[in-house]
Amino acid sequence: MYCHQLQPPIEFLIRSSARRLPLTSQLRLDFNMEDALPKFARASHAGHVNRCLSGLPGSQVEVDSARLALGFYCLGALDLLGAIQTKTSETDRASWREWIWEQQTQGVHGTGFRPSPFETADSATPEPYSDYDGPHLIMTYTALLTLAILRDDFSKLDRAGLLKFVRACQQDNGSFSIVPGNGETDLRTLYCAFCICDMLGDWSGVNVEQALKFIGTCRTYEGGYGQASFCEASGGPTYIALASLHLAPRDKDTLPLTREQRNRSIHWLIHNQHESGGFCGRTEKPPADACYSFWCGAALKVLGAADLIDAESHASFIATCQFQFGGIAKVPNEHPDPYHTYLSIAALTLFPPHVPDGGP
Amino acid sequence: MIPVPSPPLYSTRPEWADVVPIPQYEKANPLAPILYSEEYKDATDYLRAVVKSGEKSERVLQLTEHVIRLNPAHYSAWQYRYETVVAIQWPLETEIALMDELADKYLKTYQVWHHRRLILTLSKEAREELAFVAKILQQDEKNYHTWAHRQWILAFYNDDALWAGELDFVDTMMNKDVRNNSVWHHRFFVVFQSGVREGEENRERVVRRELIYTKQNISLAPNNASAWNYLRGVLEFTKLPLSTVATFVTPYTVPLPENLGDIVDVENPPPGKGAELPCVAAIEFQADIYEEEAQSESIEEAVRLWKSLAEEHDTIRKKYWEYRIQQALLRT
Repeated sequence: MYCHQLQPPIEFLIRSSARRLPLTSQLRLDFNMEDALPKFARASHAGHVNRCLSGLPGSQVEVDSARLALGFYCLGALDLLGAIQTKTSETDRASWREWIWEQQTQGVHGTGFRPSPFETADSATPEPYSDYDGPHLIMTYTALLTLAILRDDFSKLDRAGLLKFVRACQQDNGSFSIVPGNGETDLRTLYCAFCICDMLGDWSGVNVEQALKFIGTCRTYEGGYGQASFCEASGGPTYIALASLHLAPRDKDTLPLTREQRNRSIHWLIHNQHESGGFCGRTEKPPADACYSFWCGAALKVLGAADLIDAESHASFIATCQFQFGGIAKVPNEHPDPYHTYLSIAALTLFPPHVPDGGP
Repeated sequence: MIPVPSPPLYSTRPEWADVVPIPQYEKANPLAPILYSEEYKDATDYLRAVVKSGEKSERVLQLTEHVIRLNPAHYSAWQYRYETVVAIQWPLETEIALMDELADKYLKTYQVWHHRRLILTLSKEAREELAFVAKILQQDEKNYHTWAHRQWILAFYNDDALWAGELDFVDTMMNKDVRNNSVWHHRFFVVFQSGVREGEENRERVVRRELIYTKQNISLAPNNASAWNYLRGVLEFTKLPLSTVATFVTPYTVPLPENLGDIVDVENPPPGKGAELPCVAAIEFQADIYEEEAQSESIEEAVRLWKSLAEEHDTIRKKYWEYRIQQALLRT
């Protein structure tokens, strides 16, 4: 059994919009029996992310200000593996939901989620946030996805407050900052804002036109997008930009790209597939890194071109990134982490290799 | 290496005795709890306390620096530090000097660069900044944050004096590694994306210079996708047809001839000795030139080349080349 039986990524499932990304991939018939794929260590990967969910050593303290994102990668991986019900207990799922809701915080800029209580002062009852322990846009996005994975009923969601917060993060140039005010701004935050609006089915919180202009300033001559205006094309921002264009409300069912632009983007993305089968994030920047399997592959999916990927050599590459004791690393022979584990599995889900009956 | 001893805890320091530490809020059973070190727990307990009291002082700068060194991604510590720098009118050059060290140390942390940008915005002093970026790039010549910072400085200050040395800088970096795509991208940004500067008004001359520059670099290292992408970028940006460089491209699409000859053609530098030919990017370029012509015979030629890529020269992209064939045939 291989990973074509995995479920599609949750972020595509919970989108409220009727416009959905195509999820089914055609299974290929040209698979060479002699190139049998190594086994996909499903149970070990579940074990890896479960260990991270149960606790991290002090050396991982940098994760604290992005802990909800880590939770999303871990639980997202379990969800894709179809292991949420079998590998976690209802008690754990209930306490994680409770903990995530505890990060929802209200205050002057509206409502959103903190990454963790890393800067929140102890108190008997929750207090409105200060300027220094308020909600974070990227974490708010990952909180919503994680709650969906945990099958929450969202009865505690403050929709109006959420839109107010998203609005407060938008800057004059159309981009969004991680927190209202002086925080970093780049395409990541714009994508999160767009996803939140799409999930809520309410775009009244943002200036879409200005945001689309900002995305335009990040496009490069190579056909990819950079993290911010004038920056080099890279796999992550390219997925983020194209997915944001896909999510933005529009009249027609096509992306706001010319035919030439679309062709150039496909050209750049498909050329990032490296001879090893994995994807590089930038031109002439080997080696392939497992996270770009998702970023480049999902960008191709948005463009309706994921079937152009060589899915078999890609799956072989991911197989070599599997760590002996579970989890998937960025490159072969390195230590795994939930980020690369989740993104690799999501990529395999988007463009599964063809496996003949009775294969590994 | 001798381990660096941890500094004494704030809770034991007389000079912090006036502050009552505030522990972290933690009620529900947490997701992925972190086993904090005593040092981190103590420092952040005091950070929460000064944030709550609103204290902005030199010792707060020391405290935030300490927290940042333990966790450079602690964006609240950075934010409070920034506001403290402003409030107590801390010398900005001192702050930048510290940032020089921290950028070097935490090169891949977003906050290091964001804070630096905020401080520079205050100081309006960028003279040393490009030299600093050049130095940091030495340890990681493709570091994304560092290049992004350089592009931001140039765009933000938009000062002729800063732009003046930029093409020379690109050349220096290119000479170190002609396959560094960050350098090619930066060149495009400087030449085409950021307005027209003194000495660059004659655009025809600039485009000719860029085409020759790119061709020469391809001649030195033909299998370099960065250079080919740049070539396409220049032509597309200036709305020139791909066939503008047809004469140059052709020799790269076939095996290297035994006798190279001594042709010196600046416009069309031939492949050098030992070049690995045919070059995949050149075959692809040639096919695109044929496709651009959009005549039935030329499409046939393009299809022939795409087939050779699918079946021989670039088999990992077999499906892509087949797709190109299908698309081209659909249009004719």
